[in-house]
Amino acid sequence: MLKLFEHNTLNVDEIDEASTAIDVRQFNLWFGGKQVLHDISMRIPKNKVTALIGQSGCGKSTLVSSFNRLNDLYNGCKYSGEILIDGRNINSKKINVSRLRTRVGMVFQRPNPFPMSIYDNVCYGLRLQGVKTRRKLDDAVESTLKEAALWEEVKDRLFEPAHLLSGGQQQRLVIARALALKPDILLLDEPTSALDPLTTLFIEELMASLKKRCTIVIVTHNMQQAARVSDYTAFFHQGRLIEYADSDTLFTMPEKKQTEDYITGRYG
Amino acid sequence: MASIKQLGLNPVQRQSLVISLTAFFTGLLVIALISVLALISIRGGAYFWPQPIYAVSYSQGGITHKVLAQRYLSDETERVFQLNYSDFHHPYGTQALVKESDIVAESLAIESAQIKLTDGRNLLATPMFLRTPTGDKESLDEYADVKRTVNQINNEIYRISSEQLADIHNALAALDAKDVAIDAPAREKLVAQFHRVQEKVIELEGQLSEYLLALTFSGSQTLFIKVSDIATVTYVSQLNYVEKWQVVVQNLITFLTESPKQANTSGGVFPALFGTILMVFLMTIIVTPFGVLAAIYLSEYAPDNGFTTAIRISVSNMAGVPSIVYGVFGLGFFVYSVGGSIDALFFSDSLPAPTMGTPGVFWAALTMAILTLPVVIVATEEGLRRVPEGLKAGSYALGATKIETIMKTILPIASPGIMTGVILAIARAAGEVAPLMLVGAVKFAPNLPFDGEFPYLHLDRQFMHLGVLIYDGAFHSQTDAKSASMMFAACLLLLVVVFVLNVLAVILRTRLRKRYLQG
Repeated sequence: MLKLFEHNTLNVDEIDEASTAIDVRQFNLWFGGKQVLHDISMRIPKNKVTALIGQSGCGKSTLVSSFNRLNDLYNGCKYSGEILIDGRNINSKKINVSRLRTRVGMVFQRPNPFPMSIYDNVCYGLRLQGVKTRRKLDDAVESTLKEAALWEEVKDRLFEPAHLLSGGQQQRLVIARALALKPDILLLDEPTSALDPLTTLFIEELMASLKKRCTIVIVTHNMQQAARVSDYTAFFHQGRLIEYADSDTLFTMPEKKQTEDYITGRYG
Repeated sequence: MASIKQLGLNPVQRQSLVISLTAFFTGLLVIALISVLALISIRGGAYFWPQPIYAVSYSQGGITHKVLAQRYLSDETERVFQLNYSDFHHPYGTQALVKESDIVAESLAIESAQIKLTDGRNLLATPMFLRTPTGDKESLDEYADVKRTVNQINNEIYRISSEQLADIHNALAALDAKDVAIDAPAREKLVAQFHRVQEKVIELEGQLSEYLLALTFSGSQTLFIKVSDIATVTYVSQLNYVEKWQVVVQNLITFLTESPKQANTSGGVFPALFGTILMVFLMTIIVTPFGVLAAIYLSEYAPDNGFTTAIRISVSNMAGVPSIVYGVFGLGFFVYSVGGSIDALFFSDSLPAPTMGTPGVFWAALTMAILTLPVVIVATEEGLRRVPEGLKAGSYALGATKIETIMKTILPIASPGIMTGVILAIARAAGEVAPLMLVGAVKFAPNLPFDGEFPYLHLDRQFMHLGVLIYDGAFHSQTDAKSASMMFAACLLLLVVVFVLNVLAVILRTRLRKRYLQG
């Protein structure tokens, strides 16, 4: 219990290197000629839930996609600065991007199960890693689906096509698919914006249980959600990090006027 | 052009006018489709249907002719009949156009039969009696027995020539290879043996010519034909409905399994059917990976610049190039350049006789692959474009490399689109004629491109193709209604082949779509 209260007093500027999961240093990013992220520096702590909030187009999703280099897929994307994960700069050319992405899992706004069976969806990443043993795959499917709280609902129809699941189940399947690789960091890019409130609650509970084993970064438009699930919150505006603090402080006593205006709903 | 608004109609009337116009043209389209199908099916089907034989007397130019004929109505309004008839001067059939008013008498010739010879020729005649070594005028009831005896003799001839003569020829060839002198005892012994066997064959053939069937037409003259030459005797005028269908099935089997005879006017079309399917099959094997890989590069890897756009536009335009141009390209490039170079490099012993440097089924398949390539590329690109970005991102986010994402996610989802392209390619290749005539399809090929001889699949051989057969048959149509029917029957078969190939591909596509595109 003590630990739960502890983080409330922790200052974001005092996170030491050992407890840092992602260390962003003077990160800038351009799409074509347009600068999307301006000089972002922040430390995202380990085994916590960190929420990124801000208006649409403020660059928070882009920042999250930088943590697993998914922005590389888009033409005309350039960046400068460093992002350190496990003490290594992931923007370096020497980084094996595929391996990075197995360490940093990602879940998207819309559930995107592959057009395969539920079982094959969960095994997708493992099979890419060369895991072929049937028993290992079976174990991984069972344990990750349990972690994602989906096992009871699908255990009798693992070999049915994944698209037959409901939206909420699909999203949990996608989370299970990411968890199967046992990532250190899980990036959630507006994971509940396409889901109903009950399913949203389900996934929020899931996050609380998942942070024991990995760091979670969640992008959300829903301020209540950010306040409910996150330990730390960062507010972005027009590509700049405006304020970053533990969630209780940020939502109760924001330092900056802009933050206050946003969380009280005066704009955005 | 008057605008539709100037017609003084209210909006509802204008709309119904537009609807009627569009419906009218759709109706025309349906009529055109049905006419094509009906014509091909009826005329093609008629080839298999046994036509009754009539004894017809007609007068033309003051002379009365009496013939055995199958008649076809050739002109509805003028009531002109085409008679395909046999008489003593034209035993193997000829034709006449006769007005209904010129026909003096006409009766069903119950006793007459349609006699098909083994070489593909046809007679309409009344069998009279059999002549055998034992009896001068045997009854026709003996025909089955006589035929059996004749077949035994035939088999004996075949056995002797294939077993004994072949051995002697091989032995002689071996002596030739060793440069043994012409008058060497070994050689003379073989030659003597050869003569002995040959005499036996001649004797047997002499026996064959003693079994004869006497025929008469409508006069008193009698024509004898060898029983060994006869393939089938069908009393078409006596057939009931069930027996007619039996004949149809028999004709169909002959049509599908035998080689053409009498310059593609009778017999079957098996080599053409086989050639068509083999060529389409080879083409599919070549064009699918080629087109799919090119489309993957264009859509997934190529930089998004003017050069890529130019390539894309050229590919689309290639689909509109007249097919004969591809034929000329195939002949000039594949056959003469590539084939000629292969000959110069690997088969220089047999030059100047070309081995690969002549038109053949492989070059035809390659040419058709080039011709259908744009279709496959365009359809595949379309399929690749329809893969949701979210799925690709999902795959990358799980640590998949680009090639893994393409293989495991993009290609399966794009597979229905790829199948669409392949279907279109198959339909186009199966129906194409012009380029094939330049690069390997021939009117008559003595051998199939596939046989029991190593290497089994002879890609350098020329082949027969249904389309070319139809093209060839169309030249006979003005003079010979029968061969026109064979042409129509070949048309019908080509339609069926294309239809079956398409249905197979559509079933496959639907299954893939069910599997990958729902949700």
